[in-house]
Amino acid sequence: MNLSSVESLAYSLPELILVFATVGILMLDLLITRKRILGELALCACGGAALASALLAGAEQGYLFNQMVALDGFAIFFKLFLSLSAFAAVYMSLGSRELDNEHPGEYYTLLLAAATGTFYMASATNLLMAYLALEFVSLTSYVLTGFIRASRRGSEAALKYLIYGGVASGAMVYGMSLIFGLAGSLDYATIGERLLVPSEANGPILFIAVLLVLAGFGYKISMVPFHMWSPDVYQGAPLPVTAYLSVGSKAAGFAMMIRFFYVALSHAGAGGVWATIEGLEWPNLIVLGSIITMTLGNLAALRQDNVKRLLAYSSIAHAGYILMGFVVLSDAGLRAMLFYIATYYLMNLGAFTVLMMVLNNSDREDMEAFRGLAWRGGALPAAAMAVFMFSLAGVPPFAGFIGKFYLFAAVIDKEMWMLAIVAALNSVVSLYYYARIVRTMYLDQPLKSDPVMTTDWHSGAFAGVLAVGTIVFGVYWRPLIDLADKSLVFFRG
Amino acid sequence: MQFEYANVLVFLGLGLFLCAFMMGLGSLVRPHNPERKKLTTYECGEEVQGDSWINFNIRFYLVALIFLIFDIEVAFIYPVVAVFKQWVADGNGLFALTEIFIFISILVAGLVYVWTKGDLQWIMKVVVPVKPADDPKQSQSPKVGGTIYVAD
Repeated sequence: MNLSSVESLAYSLPELILVFATVGILMLDLLITRKRILGELALCACGGAALASALLAGAEQGYLFNQMVALDGFAIFFKLFLSLSAFAAVYMSLGSRELDNEHPGEYYTLLLAAATGTFYMASATNLLMAYLALEFVSLTSYVLTGFIRASRRGSEAALKYLIYGGVASGAMVYGMSLIFGLAGSLDYATIGERLLVPSEANGPILFIAVLLVLAGFGYKISMVPFHMWSPDVYQGAPLPVTAYLSVGSKAAGFAMMIRFFYVALSHAGAGGVWATIEGLEWPNLIVLGSIITMTLGNLAALRQDNVKRLLAYSSIAHAGYILMGFVVLSDAGLRAMLFYIATYYLMNLGAFTVLMMVLNNSDREDMEAFRGLAWRGGALPAAAMAVFMFSLAGVPPFAGFIGKFYLFAAVIDKEMWMLAIVAALNSVVSLYYYARIVRTMYLDQPLKSDPVMTTDWHSGAFAGVLAVGTIVFGVYWRPLIDLADKSLVFFRG
Repeated sequence: MQFEYANVLVFLGLGLFLCAFMMGLGSLVRPHNPERKKLTTYECGEEVQGDSWINFNIRFYLVALIFLIFDIEVAFIYPVVAVFKQWVADGNGLFALTEIFIFISILVAGLVYVWTKGDLQWIMKVVVPVKPADDPKQSQSPKVGGTIYVAD
């Protein structure tokens, strides 16, 4: 089906909920004095969007808004995932002391607006729409990064993010213009058809165009060499925003990248194996990117003492792991990516939640704030953090291990030994710094000056749910991998 | 296909030629009295004062942004007005009216927001949120030309 703008509205319930909540919260902010209601309203909107996305699962697949966005299994998977990411960000914001007295109306408006943008990033099937959605998410993220005005680090991060984002999106839109020149269309499926036929166009110009477009995607998912902004931004932004950038906006970047490379620059063959268009071996390029990204992320994380910055480098390294599934050109690789992104949600958001509890308690986010955490009233947060750390490192009974297992399986199935070996070595390296946090929490004795850890039920419950999820999906992951399998449907008209 | 880019080349050449032609023509016709003062920075006929790297009021941008929003509003309404009769004839009049109504009400929401927040007032009470310890230069920041800070 190919619906016009008005007909499409019936299938855009998740986005409509978010848009109405965005405008509603902004207006309500002017009327009420109990500002906490705004956050609660935003939470309901995200929950509603998640529910509405889940309800779309049975709908007929097709194009919406005159072929601008697609409604297919892949889009619905990411809509569900992204509304849950926004939900987590709003929930964390409600429990964060950093954001007290900081214009909640504007904050939740921007957060929900960013969430709406990520929805369109995941479902755009047109270069123009994809670019607009990306830019929309970027612009709101810049403001959110520098949202605490008194924080110099936050302002610095926002400015760096803005400048870096401007350069990356400029490169990207130039690449898109070259692709439009070569294919004569902005629509993914049409580009795929036109470039499929070998011609002089599939030469170096196409390669340069794809490289330029990759700069935009790479910036969003923080792939080396487009990662420079992320340590500073992750460290400077308010913690819930950092958590959202590392999960929501990154996942949206992956969704957009998968759709562009698999629909426009590849075609599906038999047995779940994909082939690139002739004359453009983009996987080789991204294999290199994946290897450098995970190695640099892990090596840089080794020496970090600020836990937020450490998690930023860890998030770069994980982008490298997820890219392993991207380069194998098979359904097995794609479903491993979706599965890994879902497990990454649990363990990474969990780690950020515990970090936020420590930050709320002691106003510090460095390694010393974790010293002897388990022995000064923080036994449960420490236990949860240990679960998240081991899961991020990819140690067996946790979800992170299963995620890595599927990624490695896809890579080894394709006999890309080099990539598999580098990734395995990287996992070993990463264990060092993840285990260092666990060691600090359990084996170091707290000093007299360290504050007693008090756990509030609000954030504690969330960390608990995520920890349970990390363990459950490490033991019984069937439903999640089935969902990922079912979601590998790209509507191509 | 490659030939179509010749248009761009011709356009570029024509542009360069026109620039050179105009400047050349000008230099032939105009009087030529070089003087030292003509080389100084021009600032609306005033003597140049101080550095250009100073703080100035962010409200200039704010007002420009608000103006831009309503400028674009008008730009979007014109095409609707142009085709409205046609749409009414096709029986879609109510639909077009609803659509433009939603569009304008979103903009009005923006106006209400800006108004309530006091951004339409040029002289505005500003609570400076920056802690003094956070910004060592805060105490000795220069008087900002043309702006009035009224701290609560």
